[in-house]
Amino acid sequence: MKAIVSVREAVKNYILGNVVVPALRGVTLDVVEGDFLAIAGPSGSGKTTLLNLIGCVDTPTSGTVEVAGKDTRQLSERELTDLRLHTIGFIFQSFNLVSVLTVFQNIELPLLLQRKLNGPERAQRVAALLERVGLREYGAHRPSELSGGQRQRVAIARALVTRPQLVLADEPTANLDSVTGAHILDLMRELNRTEKTTFIFSTHDQSVMAHANAVVRLADGKLVDRVTPAQAAAETGLPA
Amino acid sequence: MRAWLATLGVVAQIAFRNLFASRLKTIIVGGIIFFGGLLVVAGNSLLDSVVASMSRSVIGSVAGHIQVYNAKSKDTLEVMGRMMMGDPDLSQLDDFAKVRASLLKVENVKSVVPMGISGALVTSGNTIDLALEKLRNAVNARRDAKTDGERAQAELQVASEKGHVRQIVSVLQGDLKNAKAVLDERTIDPADGAAVNRAASDAFWQDFDKEPFEALEFLENRIASQAADADLLFLNYIGTDFQAFQKSFDRMKIVEGTMVPAGKRGFLFAKHVYEEQLKLKAARRLDQIKEGTENEGETIATDPDLKRMVRENVSQVREILLQLDAAKTVDFRAKLQRELASQETDVGKLLAAFFQTDDHNFRGRHDFFYKELAPSLELYRVRIGDVLTIKAFTRSGYVQSVNVPVYGTFEFQGLEKSTLAGALNLMDMVSFRELYGFMSGEKLAEIQALQKAAGAHDVSRENAEAELFGSKATDAPAAKAPRRIEATTTPGVAPVMHDLGESLGGKLQREEARSRVFPSDEVERGVVLNAAVILKNPKKIKETIVAIEAQGKQDGLTLKAIDWQAAAGLIGQFVNVIRIVLYVAILIIFLIALVIINNALVMATLERVKEIGTLRAIGAQRRFILAMLVVESIVVGFIFGGLGAGLGVLLVTVVGKIGIPAKSDVWFFFFSGPRLYPFIGTSNIVAAFAIVLLVSAFSSFYPAWIAMRVTPRQAMQEEE
Repeated sequence: MKAIVSVREAVKNYILGNVVVPALRGVTLDVVEGDFLAIAGPSGSGKTTLLNLIGCVDTPTSGTVEVAGKDTRQLSERELTDLRLHTIGFIFQSFNLVSVLTVFQNIELPLLLQRKLNGPERAQRVAALLERVGLREYGAHRPSELSGGQRQRVAIARALVTRPQLVLADEPTANLDSVTGAHILDLMRELNRTEKTTFIFSTHDQSVMAHANAVVRLADGKLVDRVTPAQAAAETGLPA
Repeated sequence: MRAWLATLGVVAQIAFRNLFASRLKTIIVGGIIFFGGLLVVAGNSLLDSVVASMSRSVIGSVAGHIQVYNAKSKDTLEVMGRMMMGDPDLSQLDDFAKVRASLLKVENVKSVVPMGISGALVTSGNTIDLALEKLRNAVNARRDAKTDGERAQAELQVASEKGHVRQIVSVLQGDLKNAKAVLDERTIDPADGAAVNRAASDAFWQDFDKEPFEALEFLENRIASQAADADLLFLNYIGTDFQAFQKSFDRMKIVEGTMVPAGKRGFLFAKHVYEEQLKLKAARRLDQIKEGTENEGETIATDPDLKRMVRENVSQVREILLQLDAAKTVDFRAKLQRELASQETDVGKLLAAFFQTDDHNFRGRHDFFYKELAPSLELYRVRIGDVLTIKAFTRSGYVQSVNVPVYGTFEFQGLEKSTLAGALNLMDMVSFRELYGFMSGEKLAEIQALQKAAGAHDVSRENAEAELFGSKATDAPAAKAPRRIEATTTPGVAPVMHDLGESLGGKLQREEARSRVFPSDEVERGVVLNAAVILKNPKKIKETIVAIEAQGKQDGLTLKAIDWQAAAGLIGQFVNVIRIVLYVAILIIFLIALVIINNALVMATLERVKEIGTLRAIGAQRRFILAMLVVESIVVGFIFGGLGAGLGVLLVTVVGKIGIPAKSDVWFFFFSGPRLYPFIGTSNIVAAFAIVLLVSAFSSFYPAWIAMRVTPRQAMQEEE
């Protein structure tokens, strides 16, 4: 299968004042289309940095990150934004919905930014997704009127509305209770299966990892190993 | 394209919803912009309306659209608002006809009015002079009486006039006593005191009829000089061609008397000056109290000015007393006793009690004064028909005096109450030139006659030596009999109707002043200081000024043209000052708005970092973020600025229907009438929107810059 994401010896340093803080120290990783990959590791291990590099939100200090065949270091800010818009969907830990827009409008937003579809086409696609995430009745609601789980489902719908090749989710269940979190993951998994969308999500929760095809474990900015969820579950007491 | 519109739609939607979500901020920011928009529209409209109406006042009263004067002048021309600052140093325009011909060549020029503006001191009549004159006339009439009937009537007249003079003398005696109480004894000439005491004595009056002319001479020389009620008047006047003036300034209308006929010497008082300076002060004060209580809603009880006027009327009855001869004294006593239901016999005290008015009895007293008392009084110090002797310092410094008959009073329609528009009296051009020190044709002829009589003739500089010391023997002019050249001047004002007893010379001079008609050519061809130009299209003032100066150059004239606002001097600048104040106020308001809006938007942006980061992460370009914020500002600007401008329009429209009443005479001038009806200028609405949008855009620059630096990474950051 074709790799949609290809990370080669990616190093990312952040500069805090005069101090160089290494966040990633040379990570190499391939993600194939249709994957449902978990990135695991304790906080500070570089999960979010890796997701940022893959999500074209950031570019590596050295090494390469290729997304959909494009080397992100070769792209301008504007091109990176376009790549995000057309290729990647984002799901955030705290949902990040636009509070002043309705559920429908939140989901429609990326389509408006894309400027590809006309009004009826957009409406149709948003309606289908609302149906898909079980929020058919909630199109006119404001995010503040929804529960956390409902909000995250709206966020998932927003991430999928452009039919991206890749969806990135940063700790998508961290702000949800375990039951709701499980439902969200089930939904993601189902969409992964039916829509053939590649999912990469970060987590430090064992039960969440269990849903993944594979788990990539990070520690201190380095890739520790790539295991099956079963293996990950079996090894209690991950390296700190 | 449609997708682009849809994006704009979503931008606008986010913007609108954000505005609604943060209502307080929106209301504060919007409130300031609202106020700014209101101020721009209402303030500017009001000011434009004042400029428009003031321009009507200035243009319609003296200035015309453009004033033209000699470019060589040291000072700039100011036709209005010069007050007491003396004449500006202007070079003359030698030949008005030539100037006018040149000006009329300019296409937009409709008419040209010759002018010269100056001022002079005039001494107005002295009551005792008038009384003595009447007495002298009566004595003459008695002497010349041919029948017994005539003689009896003259005798009565003499007795009455004697009573009047005695009354005046007793008032003077009282004044002298008062003066002694407050002044150092030494400052009063004892001879004056002795003269007054003599004139007040019964013995003097018993002997009066024995040597009436001697007694009259004593009174004229020793007493009249002590009555100091001959106030000096300072009159500003425009020398002009009356007919051209009336035609060009069609708001001018004659109130009393008639227009000065073409080719005659004449003087027209501005009605305002006539009322303000020449009317009997007590009567003037009654008018003002009436005006204050009836038109301005004030009361004597509360308004300090009205209270002061009542007080002055009570304490200053002397002016009226001096006018009362014996018969009138009796008449006044009876009338006042009846009106006041009083037993008091002293007319002075009766008058004082009569003038002690309050809000309750004022109207009745006012009407009684005009119905019963005023017909017996000289209400004005100069009457229509009198000949006014005006003395002025000419440009070269000698004193020139001219007698001009007063034909009437005039005012400008709508500017009746304006001191500014009513400060300038009108005089014929020929008299003006004389007072200003220019030779009129009449004067020139007189001088030539004198030169001929004296044997003087012009000597050129080169020949001066030869002429003075030359060999040519001539009849020495000195050998002729010495000539006495008498100048007859009439101090103050002497009414023509009562000048029977005057010197023949003076009489002739006055007669001549009234009757002499000078050719229109003399008005036309002579010197003027400036000229008012009326335009066909008043909107093209600037272009016409250029055209006039160019045409002048072509015709060999050094013409300087200025618009009415410049010609109005300080008054013209007044509007500019208000405009600057308004602009500064608007500037300050919008600077404050800029700071507050900027601050509010920065706060709002910082609150929305995560939302902006999210938008960036899911693919919104920076320009989308920029557009979002700018649209927000502009929406606020448009809505609130629009509301403010709208309210401004409404306000000005409503006020435009009702009108703003002019509170004082100055405002009559600025409003060009009793009320200002402000109108909306479209340019002001456009300006309001432009300013509001500019401020909105400027104030969102910094927050937008902050917003554009928000990275998509910031969407991921969790605030714990």
